[in-house]
Amino acid sequence: MWGSSSKIRKLAMKTLLFLTTALTVVGFAPAGSFAATDSDYSIIASVQNQTLVDGSTSRTPLEGVTIKVTKVDGALVGQAVTTADGLCTIPVLSRDDYVIEIDLSTLPDGLTLIDADKQKVAINRELFTTNTKRVTFFTGRGADAGASTAERILQRLSDGIRLGLIIAMCAVGLSLVFGTTGLTNFAHGEMVTFGGMMAFFLNVNLEIPILISGPVVILLGGLFGLLLNWGIFARLTKRGIGLISQLVVTVGLSIMLRNIYLFQFGGRTKQLSSYSKQVNLEIGPIGITPRDLTTAILGIIVLISIALFLQRSRLGKAIRAVSDNVQLASATGIDTRKVIKFVWFAGGALAATGAIFRGLDEQVSFSMGSDLIFLMFAAITLGGLGSAFGALIGGVFIGIFVEMSSLYFPSELKAAPALFILIVVLIFRPQGILGKSQRVG
Amino acid sequence: MDWNQIIQNTIRAAIGVDAIYFAIAALGLNIQFGYTGLVNFGQAAFMACGSYGLGMTAQYFGIGLWWGIPLGIVFVIVLALIVGIPTLRLRADYLAIVTIATAEIVRLFVRSVKLRNIFGGTEGISNFSREYRDLNPFEPGKTYGFAPFKFSGYTLITVLIGWVLVGVFAFLVWQLMRSPWGRVIKGIREDEDAVRSLGKNVYAYKMQSLVIGGIIGMFAGMILSLDRGSVQPDNYSRDVTFYILTALVLGGLAKVSGSIFGSMLFWVIFVLSDNVLRELTRNGPIRIGDFTLIQSTQVGAVNYMFVGLGLMLLMAYRPQGIFGNKQEMALDGR
Repeated sequence: MWGSSSKIRKLAMKTLLFLTTALTVVGFAPAGSFAATDSDYSIIASVQNQTLVDGSTSRTPLEGVTIKVTKVDGALVGQAVTTADGLCTIPVLSRDDYVIEIDLSTLPDGLTLIDADKQKVAINRELFTTNTKRVTFFTGRGADAGASTAERILQRLSDGIRLGLIIAMCAVGLSLVFGTTGLTNFAHGEMVTFGGMMAFFLNVNLEIPILISGPVVILLGGLFGLLLNWGIFARLTKRGIGLISQLVVTVGLSIMLRNIYLFQFGGRTKQLSSYSKQVNLEIGPIGITPRDLTTAILGIIVLISIALFLQRSRLGKAIRAVSDNVQLASATGIDTRKVIKFVWFAGGALAATGAIFRGLDEQVSFSMGSDLIFLMFAAITLGGLGSAFGALIGGVFIGIFVEMSSLYFPSELKAAPALFILIVVLIFRPQGILGKSQRVG
Repeated sequence: MDWNQIIQNTIRAAIGVDAIYFAIAALGLNIQFGYTGLVNFGQAAFMACGSYGLGMTAQYFGIGLWWGIPLGIVFVIVLALIVGIPTLRLRADYLAIVTIATAEIVRLFVRSVKLRNIFGGTEGISNFSREYRDLNPFEPGKTYGFAPFKFSGYTLITVLIGWVLVGVFAFLVWQLMRSPWGRVIKGIREDEDAVRSLGKNVYAYKMQSLVIGGIIGMFAGMILSLDRGSVQPDNYSRDVTFYILTALVLGGLAKVSGSIFGSMLFWVIFVLSDNVLRELTRNGPIRIGDFTLIQSTQVGAVNYMFVGLGLMLLMAYRPQGIFGNKQEMALDGR
């Protein structure tokens, strides 16, 4: 017995080593080749005047408005005057917290800020997602202030749906793994980041357009999920290591992977090369780029396919059966190990899909997944831990709720409303919307 | 830096301020995680309670520094109620999710620009520790001790007070776990339902464990901010909790000496790895042929990579840590 256990031990050790080296050597080119543009940081301020024409908004850039950038303590960093395109660039030294202020006295007569308390915009170090941080000030005449509130709500709704689709996509895998194995995977965020890293590598370093490299990234994400199961969690389960201990292992895995990404990718956020520059389409009052519109539609298609797959297909039914009751499922002849393998594959593939969308929507960074993990947890708790449909609904809801709440909440505290939901759900309906109720002591 | 210096740094790390605040935080976390089986992933937030308790006395209320202790305890209790009320009745993972989330939110709140006049934003709070400095019998600029244990007078006082606190809390935890209360706590870890059937209020015991562990963790935050002379929000990121957890698992869960030796060992290994890598990359990156293996800016990432790998390997192969007892490892009793 000891012999076999030490064999497994050796194997697992080898696997871990393999995992690490595979990630560092095979997955990535040598350090440094990731280097995209490494210019200094700058803040781009944009001043747009909104007018209401025939019920739809049109925006025109404003020239000659002074924008000031200060440190949080009030020390002036730089100021600039907007050019004909309504833009001005203020270089800043580092990724830090800044306050951007518009000088109202330089606005043309009769114009004012639509949102009066947006005269100063605070940028948090953590909101600095690329080398350049763009801040837009919207001006208008007093009259269309009312219309703009509705418009802002619609804009947030549109942003929220896009964020929600990404969260839902990423969270399904987390929920499925929990449902079938009982494991709360704190490294799921790093599975998302893995997709982002691969997308960046293929799209930027190898210059393969995202339409072709996307499916490859999704496949790689799925294989990464399989690898984690095969190399770590299946082995731990086989050796009888409990779920709480495995949870701590996922924490270690998350720290390790995140630092591998940091090691290879560096601490900066970088942009995917496909579809990076696009002009807003105006659909009614909502400004959305064709890229974001496409990802949103694709996202909805992906989520509907997941739902149909779980509802209709044999494998989908098997997954739901295992989530419901492992013993019962295996007694009816379902190969639970196969189901678990598939769930890891699907979870990794969906996480990578979410990462591609997120990477196109925002940027790619070593912490893009771990920044989302908390919203994913809120989503699956709300939907019911272990329920895939719950994760879909919860994800979309959390995305919308988080974006909408930033109408009233400073955006640096965006995550707080999600925590609020998490706590309220746990107090009043701990099993979530669609979860199976459990015995509560 | 030469190798002699590296060895001295490494040995000093075993008793330095970092090891002290880790040891105190780990003692607190041990009550929750090691003895009660509560997966508290937000110990950093409890530490922040202590730091901000201290910082806010001077900055905000204008009262003496020592009021920071009761103020910090109030913060800890409020925080423990927020994370505990919804989750302590549920499976262990819920507490993990909520504590990690709450800790992150606490950090975002205290560093936010909106609440800058209360918590000091990203710069945090400084200039609050004057009373503490005035108490220092040592001369701040002078170096005391002998190699490798050399500390400036400025640090020495914190090191001494810190180790006294470690001793006090170690004794306290040891006594608590020998008491009837401790036996119930350990019973909850082994089999919650059995304890409940004996008529014990499991929920209340868990909450007490969370609060006591949190209060001990709070002192870790205080030691850290007294030594740094400032309260920094980014000292309380979620990863700090995980590093403390790693130190705790390294030393051995559910063992008083484990928390202390684990923290010392964690910092010895960490400082050694950090110093050696920095020394090797000081004159340019290490290369194998054309392949750049590691450059100096990547040293930090490599160190933390090792921490993560270490935590995984420990949990998989030696969950009882170095000093722990396998019989006490019943994290999955339920």
